[in-house]
Amino acid sequence: MQYQYNEEQTQIKDMFGKFVQDQYGYDRHLALCKSERGFSEDHWQRFAELGLLGLPFSESDGGLGVDGGFLMAIAEEFGRGLVLEPYIATVVLAGGLLARADNREMREALLPRVIAGEFKLCLAWEERASRGQPLTVSVTAKSNQAGDKIILNGQKIVVLGLAAADKVIVTAVSEEGCVNAYLLDPATVGVQIQGQTLVDGQRAGQFQLTEVEVSADAALFSDGNAELGLSDVVNEALLIMAADGLGAMDQLLALSVDYCKTRQQFGVPIATFQALQHRLADMMIACEKTRSLMWAAYQAQGSVEFGERVAMLKAQIGSAGRYVGQQAVQLHGGIGMTEELSVGAYFKRLTVIDLLCGNRDDQLTYLAQLQTQRALAAA
Amino acid sequence: MLLTEDQHLQEFRAEIRAFLQVAPTEEILEAGRKTTSVFAPFKQTMDWHKILYRQGWVAPAWPQEYGGTGWNVEQRYVFAQECNRRGVPPLLPQNLQMVGPAVLGFGTTEQKAEFLPGMLSGDDFWCQGYSEPGAGSDLAALKCRADSDGDDYILNGSKTWTTYGHYANKMFALVRTSSAGKPQAGITFLLLDMNLPGIEVRPIIGLDGCPEQCEVFFSDVRVPKRNRIGEENKGWNVAKYVLEFERGGSSYSAWLVPALEKLRARSFLDARGYCVGDDVHIQRRLSELEIDIRAVEHTEKRVNANLKHGENPGPMASMLKILGSEVMQKFSELQLDIVGIDALPLQTAALAVGSDIAALGEESDMLAMPYYLNTRAASIYAGSNEVQRSLLAKAILAG
Repeated sequence: MQYQYNEEQTQIKDMFGKFVQDQYGYDRHLALCKSERGFSEDHWQRFAELGLLGLPFSESDGGLGVDGGFLMAIAEEFGRGLVLEPYIATVVLAGGLLARADNREMREALLPRVIAGEFKLCLAWEERASRGQPLTVSVTAKSNQAGDKIILNGQKIVVLGLAAADKVIVTAVSEEGCVNAYLLDPATVGVQIQGQTLVDGQRAGQFQLTEVEVSADAALFSDGNAELGLSDVVNEALLIMAADGLGAMDQLLALSVDYCKTRQQFGVPIATFQALQHRLADMMIACEKTRSLMWAAYQAQGSVEFGERVAMLKAQIGSAGRYVGQQAVQLHGGIGMTEELSVGAYFKRLTVIDLLCGNRDDQLTYLAQLQTQRALAAA
Repeated sequence: MLLTEDQHLQEFRAEIRAFLQVAPTEEILEAGRKTTSVFAPFKQTMDWHKILYRQGWVAPAWPQEYGGTGWNVEQRYVFAQECNRRGVPPLLPQNLQMVGPAVLGFGTTEQKAEFLPGMLSGDDFWCQGYSEPGAGSDLAALKCRADSDGDDYILNGSKTWTTYGHYANKMFALVRTSSAGKPQAGITFLLLDMNLPGIEVRPIIGLDGCPEQCEVFFSDVRVPKRNRIGEENKGWNVAKYVLEFERGGSSYSAWLVPALEKLRARSFLDARGYCVGDDVHIQRRLSELEIDIRAVEHTEKRVNANLKHGENPGPMASMLKILGSEVMQKFSELQLDIVGIDALPLQTAALAVGSDIAALGEESDMLAMPYYLNTRAASIYAGSNEVQRSLLAKAILAG
C-alpha cells in the first residue's frame, strides 16, 4: 500500500518544486492574476520542456506513461506555489479524455501537439445541474438527417481554461440518452462565450450553444463508449485537484505556524496562547486526514471503488480546505484579509476547489445514493 | 401570550413601511442590493443617511434631546427590521454607533454642540483610528504618540484597518499621551480633521479585490487639545464604553432574519433545470441556520429588554459579538453553498453601483463570494472572537 511518494515521484516533485519556488513569488502570482491571459505562456513552454505536459499519456501517444502519483506530486507544488497555468484543464481533463478516446485519428493528431505545448484544450462538462456528476448532462447532441453532422444546444458553466483553449471538448447527450464528447472550435457560429476570472485568479468561462453544427467525426468516442472514460477522467482530475488543495493547505499551516511564532501581542508571541495552539493542532489534523484520503483514492485507481473514494476525498477537501483556509485568515487577523499577504490567495484557491466539480453537499448526496443502491442490490 | 403585535406597534410598522416604500432612490436600493460586507457602498449609504436625517429617524438609539427618535426598544427593532426587509443599505456605524456615543457619554457641552450635528446630518463622516500594525487584539499596546505642545497635541505614528478612511473628513482616534504605568493608563481619545497637514491615507486592497480599509500615517500633525474627549490618559474608558456599544448595540438579527428569507427564496429558484432547495440536506441546513438566527434574535431582544436607556450591556456585549459574527459567517457559508459554482467568477465591475455591466447569472449570486470572504473579518474586527471569549471567561470566572 503506497502512502507516500516513491523515489521517482519525489524526484519530480522536488525538481518541479524548485522551478515553482524560483518562478512563482507571490508578487509574480498577483501580476499573473491581473494580466490579460491570467498565466504565463513562457511557463507553459517550460512545462513542455520539462516533460510535464506528457506525463500521463502513453508512450505510443508521445508521452511518458507514468502513473497518477506523478501528477499528484506536481499538483501539490501547484497548490503550494499558487500556479495558474491551465494544467488540470488541458492535460488532466481534456488531454485525459482524449487519451481515452477511440477516435484514433483525432487522438493521434492532437495529443502530440498538446504534449509539445503548442496546442491547448479544455473540457466543458460542468453544468448547473451536474452537481459533480459528469454523466448528468443536459447539453443535447442531435444528428442531422444525412448523419454527417451533429447539432449541439445548451449551456456549460465555469469551464476551466476556456479562454486559452484552441479547441474545446464539450460533453452532450444524444436523443437516445447516450453521453458523448465532441471537439469544438470556439469560433463556430452559434457559440456564445463569456470569459470569467475566478476568485482565485484562474481563468474560466461559460458558453451557450445555439444550433451549433459540428461534423460527425468530431465525436471522441463511438456510441456508448464515452461514459466510462468520462467518469474516470473526472475522478482522476478530482484526485489531482485534491493534491493541489493539499499543497495549499500544507502551505497555509506552515505560514500560520510561522506567524504565530513571530507575531507579538500582549508582550508575547501569540503562539503562547493555548487557544491558538489548539487551533494549529486542529489545522494539522485536517491536513493529515485529507492526505490519508488522498492516498486511499490513489490506491483505488482503476478499481470499482475509485469513484467512491474520490467522492470521499472531494467532500473532505471541501470541509478541511474551508476550515484550514478560514483559520489561517483568523490567526493572521486583519492582515490575513488583505491582498498584501498570500494567505488570502491560498484561502481563495481552496474555496474554488471546494465549489468546483460538485461541492461537499453534492459528494455526500452521491455517497448516500451509492449506499442505498448497494443495500437495494443486496436485498 | 399571543404572538401578534399590539395595535400601536402595528401602526408604527405601517408608518415605517409607507416611508420606506417611497423614500429611497433607485440608486440607494441598488447600493443596498450590492452590499458585500457590513459596510455598504459609501456614497449612496451617506445619501440615505441624509434622507433619514431629514425625516428625523437617523439615530433611533440616541437620546431624544440630541436628535434621537424617542422610540422604545421594540420600535427600534421594527425599524431596523423593516429597513433590512426593504433592502436599503445599512447606515455606516462610525458616526452613530461609535464616535457619537463617545461624545454623548464623555463630551463637554461645547463638544456636543460642535460635533454631534455633523455626525447626525451626515455632513461629516468619521473614521476610526484605533488599531495599529503592532496593536490589534492587544489594542492597549498602541504607540501613535500625541505630545503636548501648549494648547495642541503633536501626532506621530500610524493607524490601520481604518474603514473608509479614504472617504472620511474626520477621525476619532486613540493616541498615546503617556508611557508611564499600565499601557491602558496612557491613552487619550482624540477627535481630528482628516485634512490637517501631515496626514497620509493609503487604501488597503481586501480579499475581494476592493479597498475598504486604509492605513493612515501621521507626521507632526497638530491637533487642538479642546478636541480631546474625556480626560488626558483616560481614553481607554471612553474606548471601552464605545466598544461595548459597537459589539452589543448593533442588531445582527434585524439583518439576519430577512436575509434568511431571501436565501430560502433563492434556494427554491429553478436555475435552469436545477433547484437546490429540492435537496432535503440543504433544507435541513437552512432550518439549522434559522435556529441559530432565532437564538441570536431572542438573545439580542432579551439583553436589550433588560437594559435601561443609554446603559450598555457590559460583558454580555462580548457574547452578542461572538454569537452574531459567527452566525453571520455560517449564513455566508450556506449562501455560498446554495449559489454553488455560480459564485466562483469574480464580478467586480458588475458589482459597482450604477454599473451597466450585467451579472453573469442571478444578480444576487455575484454577492455570495465577496460576502463570504469579507465576513471572515467579522470574527477579527471590533475585538477578535478569541479576545471576546477571554473576556467572557474572565467574567464567568470572576463571578
